[in-house]
Amino acid sequence: MEQTIKIGWLFNNSFNLHGDRGNLLAVLAEGQRRGYQVLVEQINLDTKCFNPMDFDFLFCPPGEIEHFEAAAAFLEPHRKVLMDYIETRPMLVTGTSVAIFGESITRDDQSTIRGLGIIEVVTRENHAVYGDDLYYSCQYNGKEMDIVGSQIQMIDLEIKEESPFGRLKYGYGNNGETKFEGVISGKGIFTNTLGPLLVCNPWLTEEIFNLIETNRNWPIWEDHRDNSLELKSFKTKLAHIDKKETRLKKISER
Amino acid sequence: MKFYLALWFAKLMGVAINMISKDRGTNLPGEKALTIDPDFVKHFKNIDYSKVIFITGTNGKSSTTNLVTHILKQNGKKIVSNLEGANLLGGIATILAKEASLSGKLKADYYVFETDERYLPLIYAQLPAENMLITNLQKDQVQRNGDPDFIIRKLKEVVNPKMTLILNNEEPRSRFFEEIARRSIYYGVSRHDESFTKGADYPTQACPKCHHDISFDYYNVDSIGAFHCDFCGFASKKTPDYPITDLNFSDQSFKLRDVNFHMPYDLPFMFYNYAGSLAVCEAICKIPAEAAAKAFENFKNIGGRFEVMTYKNKTIKYMRIKQENPDTLQSALNIMASDKHKKMVALGLYVVNDFVPHYINTFYAFDCDFKPVIESNVERYLCFSEHVSYDTANRLIYDGVAKEAITIMDSDNINEIFAEIDKAETDNIYLITWLSTFEKMKKFIEGGQN
Repeated sequence: MEQTIKIGWLFNNSFNLHGDRGNLLAVLAEGQRRGYQVLVEQINLDTKCFNPMDFDFLFCPPGEIEHFEAAAAFLEPHRKVLMDYIETRPMLVTGTSVAIFGESITRDDQSTIRGLGIIEVVTRENHAVYGDDLYYSCQYNGKEMDIVGSQIQMIDLEIKEESPFGRLKYGYGNNGETKFEGVISGKGIFTNTLGPLLVCNPWLTEEIFNLIETNRNWPIWEDHRDNSLELKSFKTKLAHIDKKETRLKKISER
Repeated sequence: MKFYLALWFAKLMGVAINMISKDRGTNLPGEKALTIDPDFVKHFKNIDYSKVIFITGTNGKSSTTNLVTHILKQNGKKIVSNLEGANLLGGIATILAKEASLSGKLKADYYVFETDERYLPLIYAQLPAENMLITNLQKDQVQRNGDPDFIIRKLKEVVNPKMTLILNNEEPRSRFFEEIARRSIYYGVSRHDESFTKGADYPTQACPKCHHDISFDYYNVDSIGAFHCDFCGFASKKTPDYPITDLNFSDQSFKLRDVNFHMPYDLPFMFYNYAGSLAVCEAICKIPAEAAAKAFENFKNIGGRFEVMTYKNKTIKYMRIKQENPDTLQSALNIMASDKHKKMVALGLYVVNDFVPHYINTFYAFDCDFKPVIESNVERYLCFSEHVSYDTANRLIYDGVAKEAITIMDSDNINEIFAEIDKAETDNIYLITWLSTFEKMKKFIEGGQN
């Protein structure tokens, strides 16, 4: 009988900013390649029974800040379980939505929204948007890797007591002033990276699946994916980054 | 006195620019006038603000402005409008300076202005229009706008209880503004042969009134169609004030109530422009539908998104898209998919270079459904353009295209693109790329490579 992996897609309709549906396609494709049945369950404000522990992987795409209060109120009863969840299980939060999992969001009009406080970061809505490419190194599930993507930064992050997910090689990252990109807490990735991240960087998708297999006590799939197309994409993007005009503070000066 | 100096300077500059090139100068005279008199637009005389109509939104504002102006002119009205698409304060200042007398007096029946949604508060501060049509509010130019709510906040600074709004009935974010305006007039498009649905794994959007999920019964254009929110009951009206119905692609016609119209362009994204224009012309400018219908017979859109070129024995159908927005790409894909003849699909998504830093954004392709194109008899795909061609190809592969069916070219070299087009057996070529590459291709053909 086919083994089943369950994916929870948080606020799939209301948080729909930057083609992040692609991350789900990447997860589905990798799961199917490894011979699993992959079930995706959409979790929205009307979901009556949400138990994070029912899932092998949770994904929260970027949303408009306007809807964050409602999303945080929905997740608040599950706060403790989510904290336990990311101790061992993979979760990916991208773009603006990272702020919901932080302590607070200060809006441009100085009003504040209380976050879930799952990660110790404070966030602030920017008066102006910043869009750019993003390139950094990171480690996930014990594997070192380079990630390339893009970011549309509407909210700056300031890390209080967390580890950054990535060390910037190019890009704005959390706030344009540090060398940090995103946050990693346990197995939870909170990142500014769009692209979609898991499509452009299948080496990360593979590690997420390796972790799922470890959590399930299943053997780790050893037959590696053919990533030649993505590697070519990666190279040409680095060539673009190398020659681009930028007004960002140099990483070495941060 | 500052106003007169600014006005005369703008007029002189406009004449001078016009002598050099008739295509230039839509912004510059106004911009310069605004440096002399920062309240330049506010100081024109004789403008009745109840006769001023702003047309704003993400997609369709130029075409709607063109059509409204055309209908009104055909019906004998004197119109002041920024038809050249100069939709910032400088562009509006330029056209007002051109049309005004030397003392700054204007005489027109209506003022119809396409207005950039981001700069609307600045424009409104000097020209408080009492009528505004909102075409739709979608993701667009995210490098500067971030998300649709950013634009909604800009519009909130302007929309007030004195205004009459003309709203797209089937677009939830535009409809949100009905709560603020004095009067809202709704226009819509009924379901037609090219309406479509998307699978449950394609996200919709949050309800602007209660944050819960919006569901679409179908789409007439991506993100626009009959919608409802199960939680709060917010929904498109079954019968808007200006519904265009009976859209018939074979005889290129549609109806508004009992009046028959010729369809100048049978492209689904144009239908909302037709409906919105008819709503403005009748509800605000008192032009009855029968009179408007006559103007549809000879309407030519300026700067449309669709062009056809002949190359050797092949027909190249070019569709211009906005890459930082999935809606125009989905519309282009739907047009390709509706053609069941064998075709080559050439996709040249590109590095977004509107502002520094230029950056790679191909992610909206994941919001678009490529399957109908893939199932529409495609002989071969060409993914070209430096730095993004692999990502474009990957998007196709994720929807089931075999790697072997795609030629990937990490370049914008025109000769190489045409060499690939030459290899196609089919004479039916669809091309999506940015204007710069398209214009180079056009020059290549015009230069005798045909």
